[in-house]
Amino acid sequence: MTGNSEEDGIHERMMARRNIVTELRAASAIAVKQWRVEFAYPLTVLWFVLLPVMWMLPYFITGVALTGAMQSPALEASVGTSDWVSYVSIGTAYMGLTLSMIWGTGHALRREQNVGTLETLMAMPVRRGTLVWGSMLHELQHGGLGVVLQLVASVFLFGVSLNAWGVLPALAIVALSVIGLQGIAFAVACIVLVAKRGWMLTEVLGDIMILVAPMAYPIAVLPPVLQYISVASPLTWSVEGFRGCLMYGLAYEGLLRAVMALVILDTVYLTIGVLMFMATERWVRKRGALAQF
Amino acid sequence: MAQTTVETTGQALPPGPARTDFTPRLVDWTAAWLVAEKELRVSLRYPANFIAWAVMPILWQAPMILMAVAIGGDLTHFTELSGFSDFVRFTVIGWFVASYLDNSIWAVGNNFRWEQFGGTLESLFCAPVPRVSLMLGAAVASTVTATIEATLMLAFACGVFGTGYAISTIGPVIVVLIAMIVALHGLSFMLAGIIIVFKDPSVLTEFVATVTRVLTPISYPVSALPRWARWVAYLMPSALALVAIRYFAISGTFDVVIFLQTLVGLGLLSVFFWSVGLVTFRAAERWTRDRGHIGGF
Repeated sequence: MTGNSEEDGIHERMMARRNIVTELRAASAIAVKQWRVEFAYPLTVLWFVLLPVMWMLPYFITGVALTGAMQSPALEASVGTSDWVSYVSIGTAYMGLTLSMIWGTGHALRREQNVGTLETLMAMPVRRGTLVWGSMLHELQHGGLGVVLQLVASVFLFGVSLNAWGVLPALAIVALSVIGLQGIAFAVACIVLVAKRGWMLTEVLGDIMILVAPMAYPIAVLPPVLQYISVASPLTWSVEGFRGCLMYGLAYEGLLRAVMALVILDTVYLTIGVLMFMATERWVRKRGALAQF
Repeated sequence: MAQTTVETTGQALPPGPARTDFTPRLVDWTAAWLVAEKELRVSLRYPANFIAWAVMPILWQAPMILMAVAIGGDLTHFTELSGFSDFVRFTVIGWFVASYLDNSIWAVGNNFRWEQFGGTLESLFCAPVPRVSLMLGAAVASTVTATIEATLMLAFACGVFGTGYAISTIGPVIVVLIAMIVALHGLSFMLAGIIIVFKDPSVLTEFVATVTRVLTPISYPVSALPRWARWVAYLMPSALALVAIRYFAISGTFDVVIFLQTLVGLGLLSVFFWSVGLVTFRAAERWTRDRGHIGGF
């Protein structure tokens, strides 16, 4: 009896502590937990270091085969710089972060379901959205470290030069980008919660976003329909802003435009994403379909 | 029930038909065929997968073509280096061949891991058939599905990018393709053995897949690789086959010397990969079984 009343007390106290600090702690704990899972597989760490360079290699070899040099007059004619190595290296470095955010965060709930811990997590006295924010925090750290590694490798292996004055504005762009991508991650989490094995849909969604983003080419080379989709994607403005800052520093002319576009798109994407997640989570719980495969 | 009583009383067991009929063999073709049939039945339950796998490689590879448009200019250097002036035509056939490479690594190499995820690996390993037969069955089934997906992908890509290939040399292309698939399955066996031991397939498979893709001249000629890497590339069945297939499919010319050289090369690589693959697989399987690791994650 005493034990029960103590447990009740603990539960009530836990529920009463639901504030922003509790949510942040829970999100941080989820991020740390995911790092621990990854470090449990030693090969993962080695691959994490090698992956950014390995991803960049096909682009670099193809670029050299196409141009025969480190400069491209064709690129200069369209975007004003002939340094294709820097253009492509910085653009593709951002791809890792994007993939981590969309895939890692969106599929985090499915991962928990696969290992049988989703219901336990959902029973925690925290907001359901915190589970997704926690995964996002881990993916931001994971993907962000990948971006740093790829940029460092690009500097030392491919002779890419980065403008130090552009680092802080580039980080501000990343911060703005994360908000919009989080909206997409919430939408992906909805697909996963409803369709369970909705990886194919999310894969195609992610692939289209990456295709229309100007990672290794300006959007001018896309067909007109894809150019419209590209302009409506937060990823496009994130890549443009991030690359512009790191290549030209404070002299980058498109910074204000990228920030404005990201603020508008972040508001739209995050609002839609959060509303979708809340409605989906309620729908799935009502049907008792949370742990279903 | 009667047999259980005999077992518990310690008396000698009467020779049952199941015990006397079972003779270990290197390969059980009936089992291989049944596994292939099972795998194909599972694949056919999800017909949308064929479309998805035909479209997704195009989405993954299209950035390379768009990059070529953005930085390539008039492609003078590329034409000098590769001998081909049409980058799209050059690359799309590369995707076609690469889909078999991906299949051998992701579908066949990881087959037991997928069975493990589905909770059926231990039951499968309890079947009184050589494990090699299970792998062979999976290899046959995934070759069939890969062929459907790769053909659909080639058709889509040709439609989207408005390109095409010579039909007159389709015979030698198919022969080289079959020889490549045989050699690649040796690699799959090797990978399957390693995955049984190391478990976590995402990292290992990603690593092998990325390295083999870099060495396979999908969107660049072998001559674009550093000199040392070219030698390593020619030890890859996919690289050796792709060079010949690309030549036959684009030029529409059948060169008997290139054809025979490629077949001999692929034959030697098949012997090498199958020998190493089978030895690795059997050793890994024994090692894992001795330690009771089969079902572990």
